[in-house]
Amino acid sequence: MSKIVILGAGISGHVAATHLRRKLSKQHEVVVVSPNSNYQWVPSNIWVGIGKMKSEKIYFPLAPLYKKKGIQFKQAKAISFHPEGDKTEQTPYVLSEYVVGNQKGQQEKITYDYLINATGPKLNFGATEGLIPGKNKAYSVCTYSHANHAWGGLNKVIQQLKAGKKAKILIGTGHAKSTCQGAAFEYILNVEQELRKHKVRDKAEVTWISNEYQLGDFGMDGMLMRYGSLTMKSHEMIEMIFEDRGIKWILGAGVHKVEDGVAHYENLEGEHKSETYDFAMLIPSFSGHGFKAYDKNENDITEKLFKGFMIVDADYTAKPYEEWSVRDWPETYQNPNYKNIFAPGIAFAPPHSISKPRKSKNGTDITPAPPRTGMPSGITAKLVADNIIDSIKGGKKSLHHKGSMGNMGAACIASAGFGLTKGSGVSITTFPIVPDYEKYPETQGRQLGKTFGEIGLAGHWLKLALHYAFIYKAKMKPFWWLIPE
Amino acid sequence: MTQRISKYQRFKMMNPVIQFFKFIYLSIKIMVVVAGGHGGTRNLN
Ligand SMILES: Cc1cc2nc3c(=O)[nH]c(=O)nc-3n(C[C@H](O)[C@H](O)[C@H](O)COP(=O)(O)OP(=O)(O)OC[C@H]3O[C@@H](n4cnc5c(N)ncnc54)[C@H](O)[C@@H]3O)c2cc1C
Repeated sequence: MSKIVILGAGISGHVAATHLRRKLSKQHEVVVVSPNSNYQWVPSNIWVGIGKMKSEKIYFPLAPLYKKKGIQFKQAKAISFHPEGDKTEQTPYVLSEYVVGNQKGQQEKITYDYLINATGPKLNFGATEGLIPGKNKAYSVCTYSHANHAWGGLNKVIQQLKAGKKAKILIGTGHAKSTCQGAAFEYILNVEQELRKHKVRDKAEVTWISNEYQLGDFGMDGMLMRYGSLTMKSHEMIEMIFEDRGIKWILGAGVHKVEDGVAHYENLEGEHKSETYDFAMLIPSFSGHGFKAYDKNENDITEKLFKGFMIVDADYTAKPYEEWSVRDWPETYQNPNYKNIFAPGIAFAPPHSISKPRKSKNGTDITPAPPRTGMPSGITAKLVADNIIDSIKGGKKSLHHKGSMGNMGAACIASAGFGLTKGSGVSITTFPIVPDYEKYPETQGRQLGKTFGEIGLAGHWLKLALHYAFIYKAKMKPFWWLIPE
Repeated sequence: MTQRISKYQRFKMMNPVIQFFKFIYLSIKIMVVVAGGHGGTRNLN
């Protein structure tokens, strides 16, 4: 009998838990530890943030589903890792603290045979002075409650615009090393379309602010892509969309301070500038959760498990951009020091950024961190689960399933406006996610046929279809496993 | 605002009939890219 503990019930944790439960007999325990009682389909937060979708549509409670399916659920947060146990507990465990109910505040040593750390990122608002969701007229759409809040702020501005006032809207990244530009990109296009629907577009100045060197970098060093019969660079495509929508842009900007209606930033030229706004949505930087780890003698061994995020089978040797290789990226998401610990999704420490690192003239790092979107989060979680399943069933450790982001495709279906007939979407697929310059030297590291962009109503339908399909899958409705990650 | 997308392009982008076929085409293409397999990089190269 094996016990598999999964920390986190986001996209990667939930995917791992559901596959483990489906493929392992009930004699094996699957335990999920997560502080949030709900599963949320994060990509649809964009629509919550423009008031077009109720947050209840994007989340559902985990406890009843897990009870029905035979998955144990502990509404608790992991605090520290003890991969060798301790003086009184021989088995590896994670010290966790319950966050609700009678047990609130109580700590438990949750023992495991296999541990999957799927705790995603900490939304590190604290890294940018004054960037607090809902304060200083700046908002976030990273969770459904943030997105609800953002809609409240945006709606207020729309009402002011209707009353004849002018307003400035600023959307993008709130830190020199933020990631998730794709989410901000979706949000700015949706907000812009809402302003047009409310017939107040002419009264608002809409500006994109980002740590990207070029538009369309998306933390992936941009891409060369097919667009209809053309081959174009992603920055050309995004520039075309922004110009067409009358959106201004500020690039290479590391926002470091937010005050009431003012974002202060440094740009790659080393200039310190500020931008005023009446409504802002700025994505914070993502960081690890600051977990500690201890050996059986209670010595601190955090550096064996964490490098901000969790250490996995990546090549973390520091080297210049020119020497970066697709082979630096992990394949099995296994911790090299404790082979029964894995970290799929956003929880693993990337070897380096994907975009070329850039510093301002003052030496400030202004580089997007590498994104790990929903699809790679799901795919890496499933392959981790499959390796654990094979190891348990085969009776010996197996790492047969591999999935490097350098040999994996991703689709970014960015909503560009809501509405069954008036909506729009920008559909971009990339293969591979991390460019492989050895395999595809002529096409900037990507396979052209599989790296393409499309703009139009079909993109909106696709994003909506994905919303329903993935919620269906997450609810483990009949044949859920046929829907790919 | 600069008109970077022509009226004809916009018509194609928003026409529900054209977009219905595009939806089918995109769904298949995305499945091919995303569900079309993944693997390691270290042994391949
Ligand atoms: C607004 C927005 C829009 C996006 N749109 C898209 C999109 O269109 N397409 C796409 O592919 N991707 C999109 N993404 C990215 C996608 O949401 C992420 O890639 C994905 O959520 C990452 O999954 P994860 O499971 O690794 O992390 P998360 O989803 O962040 O899950 C982490 C889990 O860990 C739990 N946790 C946290 N701390 C602890 C602890 N101490 N102990 C135990 N559990 C803990 C959390 O409660 C949560 O359940 C978007 C992201 C945002 C913010």
